Amino acid sequence: MGEVIVITSGKGGVGKTTSTANIGTGLAMMGKKVALIDTDIGLRNLDVVMGLENRIVYNLVDVVENNCRIKQALIKDKRYPNLYLLPSAQTKDKTAVTPGQMKKLTGELRNEFDYILLDCPAGIEQGFKNAIAGADRALVVTTPEVSAVRDADRIIGLLEANEITQTHLIVNRLRADMVKEGNMMSSDDVVEILAIDLIGIVPDDEHIVISTNNGEPLVGSDCQAGQAYMNISKRILGEDVPYLDLEVTKTFFQRFASIFKK
Amino acid sequence: MDGTVVIKGSKSGIILVLSPDASYETLKEDIAAKFKASAAFFGEAQKAISFKGHKLSDEQKMEIINVIQQNCQLSIPCIIEEDPVTEEAFREALEKNLSGNNSSSTGQFYKGNLRSGQVLDVETSIVIIGDIKPGAKVISKGNVIILGSLQGNVYAGAAGNTNAFVVALDMHPVQIRIADAIARSPDSPVKKGKGRGKKQKNTVRETKIAFLENGNIYIEPLDRDVISDIRL
Repeated sequence: MGEVIVITSGKGGVGKTTSTANIGTGLAMMGKKVALIDTDIGLRNLDVVMGLENRIVYNLVDVVENNCRIKQALIKDKRYPNLYLLPSAQTKDKTAVTPGQMKKLTGELRNEFDYILLDCPAGIEQGFKNAIAGADRALVVTTPEVSAVRDADRIIGLLEANEITQTHLIVNRLRADMVKEGNMMSSDDVVEILAIDLIGIVPDDEHIVISTNNGEPLVGSDCQAGQAYMNISKRILGEDVPYLDLEVTKTFFQRFASIFKK
Repeated sequence: MDGTVVIKGSKSGIILVLSPDASYETLKEDIAAKFKASAAFFGEAQKAISFKGHKLSDEQKMEIINVIQQNCQLSIPCIIEEDPVTEEAFREALEKNLSGNNSSSTGQFYKGNLRSGQVLDVETSIVIIGDIKPGAKVISKGNVIILGSLQGNVYAGAAGNTNAFVVALDMHPVQIRIADAIARSPDSPVKKGKGRGKKQKNTVRETKIAFLENGNIYIEPLDRDVISDIRL
């Protein structure tokens, strides 16, 4: 029986889609059968980040409207044969799907897959309600900014109200150098405000931008963000992985910055 | 056989009035004879059909249609069940069936860019003056000609016309479908193009055509040889 995990944030642009792509790929790399569902109807982009846009024939709305079978709409990843993507529709909007339909869909996918990851749209409206409808647990993504943390807090409250109690936090785009100078919240500060368990810290890494543009998740690669996402995937599987030492990032960024200062 | 089968014809449909008393087997023989006799009168045409008088199962209806098609040049693409609105339904059904055939020789224009999420769905061929962005889609029963850049999805010959083609001044589609075939962009060059962006734009724009041959979609420069092979 598979587990359904929703990846959500409230605020937009904090890295839900990137996290979904990388964690999903990470789980697939460790041999799990994974389905990624893009629930951001009308503004789909998980397929672009995964580099699978050109393979789309059917989408989520076709499945819930019974225009096709689930198997026809699932796109097999080009790198990992046990990783699948159910893309969202671009021509409809959030109202094309109801929470009940999502619950039924995830219920059916549970029998086939070990993990089902739902990429949630920003906001707390219908799209959010659809995404969390069938979820067992949630990963809340936030950046160390007041606005993102405030929205994350609201989201955690809404998740609790919807009886999703297993909620973990991903702090994304952390800059160790700025934290050290006291110009950015540390992950500890964020955890203290939000009062939920941390599952990963992802440093701000230019490799992410390159990877997203190329449509290839960087999980498992040498760079820090790649390692951080791999660690999150391992923690989802229940492994106890120590947190990355982000001091290295600090010196790297300082060195990087000093080059330009000259 | 007199009176067991009466054929009532109209411009686009046939009403077959069958005697309620005759057995199915006799009816079948009589229908065969009737249509054979009037094969010359009907000629080669498409007609919708409707049955009256005798209760028939779906299999029997299909069998009768087969008998008719074997004995004359008529082709019968559909059965109309409702009697009162028959003529109107005949006309509509046939129009639907025929529009697929006319779609490649009639056309319309569209001016403007199609952006992500926009869908242009037309019954005829279409000339688009503008770009098709990634995530946008054009669906046509005929041909699609894009006086601009194609970076999105195009579906030509949507009613099954295998002669349909797609022409674009700059051909970088995500997906092209013609009739039942689907072609998707190659994985590696597209990525390089996205990564480099500006460099790609400087490369020469070449007008290309996508067409269907033996079930495969080919994309080639639009030169004189290819143009002479185009069939509308």
